[in-house]
Amino acid sequence: MSDLKSLPRLRDGALNLADWLVEPQPATAGALNLFAGTVRNIHEGQAVRGMSYHAHRGLAETRLREIEAATEARFGVRAVVAHAVGELAIGEISVVVVIRGGHRAEGFEACRWAIDTIKQAVPIWKEEHYLDGQARFLEGTPIQPVESL
Amino acid sequence: MRVTVECYGASARWCGSDAITLDLADGATGNDALDALAARYPDFAARRDTVAIAAGDAIASPTAPLADGDVIALIPPVSAG
Repeated sequence: MSDLKSLPRLRDGALNLADWLVEPQPATAGALNLFAGTVRNIHEGQAVRGMSYHAHRGLAETRLREIEAATEARFGVRAVVAHAVGELAIGEISVVVVIRGGHRAEGFEACRWAIDTIKQAVPIWKEEHYLDGQARFLEGTPIQPVESL
Repeated sequence: MRVTVECYGASARWCGSDAITLDLADGATGNDALDALAARYPDFAARRDTVAIAAGDAIASPTAPLADGDVIALIPPVSAG
C-alpha cells in the first residue's frame, strides 16, 4: 500500500489536484484518466457564490474507500478517489477520481463508474450559497449501497 | 428508552435541529424513530421515505431494534460530487 492509499479520502477544504497524482504510473499502465469536479457559478439560472459540502464523516470515508476498491476489482485498474468537505469557492475542486490502467477504454469506463457511484453512495450534501444571500441544500438521491451500483 | 438522532444535510432543516432526543417504547426500531420524527416535524414527514438511518459508520436496517442510549443518524438523499 502506498502512502497515498493510507491517507484520508475526505479532506477539509478544496482539493489540490497535484496531491492526488503523486503515485508513479504502473509500468503496465498505458492510460491515466482523471476526473475533477469543480464548483460552478450558476445553478438552474441562479448565480452561485460558493458551496458548502457537509458529510457524515465516518460513513463517507468508508464509502469512498469501498468505491475505490470496487473500481479496482471491477475494471482491473488502480483507483484513487477523494472528496472535499467544508466551504469551497467558485472554481475550486470538490471531488477527484484518478484511474491508472492498461488502456483508455477501461480507464474512461472506470472513471465514469467511480464518479457516478460517489454521487449515489457517499453521504455528502451540497449546500449552495447564492449571490442574493440565500442558501439551500440541493435535491439528491436516496443513498445506495456500493454493491448495488 | 431514550435515543439520540443526529440530523445530517437537509434533514437538520426539516427537523429544525442538528440533534434530537426521542423517548421511545422499549423494543422500538429505526422505523419507530422515523415515525416519531414524522409525527413531530411536517417537513420531515413529507420526505420520510427518502431517508436512511446510519448507526456508527454503517447504514442500519430500519427494522433493527434500538437500545437505550443509542445514537442514530438521519441520511437524507445525497448530493456528493
